[in-house]
Amino acid sequence: MFFHIVLERNMQLHPRHFGPHLRDKLVAKLMKDVEGTCSGRHGFVVAITGVEDIGKGLIREGTGFVTFPVKYQCVVFRPFKGEILEAVVTMVNKMGFFAEAGPVQIFVSNHLIPDDMEFQSGDVPNYTTSDGSVKIQKESEVRLKIIGTRVDATEIFCIGTIKDDFLGVISDPGGAL
Amino acid sequence: MSGMEEEENAAELKIGEEFLKAKCLMNCEVAIILEHKWEQLQHMSDGGADQVSQVFEKSQAYVKRFSRYKNPDAVRQVRETLSRYSLVEFELCTLGNLCPDTADEAKALVPSLVPGGRFDSDDRVDKMLNDLSLIKKFE
Repeated sequence: MFFHIVLERNMQLHPRHFGPHLRDKLVAKLMKDVEGTCSGRHGFVVAITGVEDIGKGLIREGTGFVTFPVKYQCVVFRPFKGEILEAVVTMVNKMGFFAEAGPVQIFVSNHLIPDDMEFQSGDVPNYTTSDGSVKIQKESEVRLKIIGTRVDATEIFCIGTIKDDFLGVISDPGGAL
Repeated sequence: MSGMEEEENAAELKIGEEFLKAKCLMNCEVAIILEHKWEQLQHMSDGGADQVSQVFEKSQAYVKRFSRYKNPDAVRQVRETLSRYSLVEFELCTLGNLCPDTADEAKALVPSLVPGGRFDSDDRVDKMLNDLSLIKKFE
C-alpha cells in the first residue's frame, strides 16, 4: 500500500552551501539522499512531496559541517503481510512465479498456486488450468495476497499466494495483445 | 517502535500505529501525485528528469497500470464516497484499488470489514460498492 507520511532526517551540509540558497541546497540534497531508498520500517521512499519544517542548524565541532533536522512529507510504498494487491508477473518457472507491484518483488511458490494449474515449459513458460481457460505467464496481471515479508538493509521481498478466494489472474496478456 | 514486526497482519489491520494513523493513498491518487512531480522535474533546468530513482519509475508504471479511476475529479469522489462508510484508511484504499463487485468479494479482500458491526448487513456493503461503480460509470 502507498502511504503519505511525514519523516524526519538530520541533514549535514557543508558550509560552502551557506547563503541565500541554503534551503534549496538542503531540499535538493534531501531528495538525492532519500528518494529511492528502502527501509524495513517505512518501506520504499517513492517521492518527496514537500518539506514541512527545517529546524535550527547545529555546528558540528571540528568539521564545520552543520546538521539540520528536516521534516518532510513523502509517498512511501510499504507492503504488509495479509495485504491483497495487484501485481504484474515478471518471470515464470517450475518453482513458481515472480511478480512486481511497483518497487517490490513478490514470489509465489507453486505450492501456493491452485492445484489445478500445471506448469508448462516452452518458449513462454506458464501455469495453465487443465481446460486451458486460465493462464499465468509473463506480463499477466494477478491479484495476490502477501503472506510473508523479508526485509534486508536496502530491499523488501515478499512471498505471496493466489490460492484463496477471489485471488488469481485478472488479465491475460495473450488476450490483450 | 510498538513491536509491530511480530504481529503484522493487514487482514486484522495490524499494520502498526504509525501506518494506521497515516494517510493511505489509492493507486489512482499516487498516479496523480507522481505525474505532478514528474512534470515539475522536467521543468527543472539541470535535467532533473534524468535522475529519478528506479523506485519512482517502477511505482509510476505500476500505478498507471492499476489505477481504476483516471479523472482527478472521480478520484476525489471515490475518497469522499468511501469516507461516508466509517472505514479505516487502509480499508478505504484497498477497496478503492481493487473495486470488488460483490459483498462477498469485498469481505474476502478486506476481512476487517466483518467484525465490529459497521457492516451488519450485506446491503450496506452492496450500497457502498454500488456507489463506487456509479463513479466509474460516469467518469
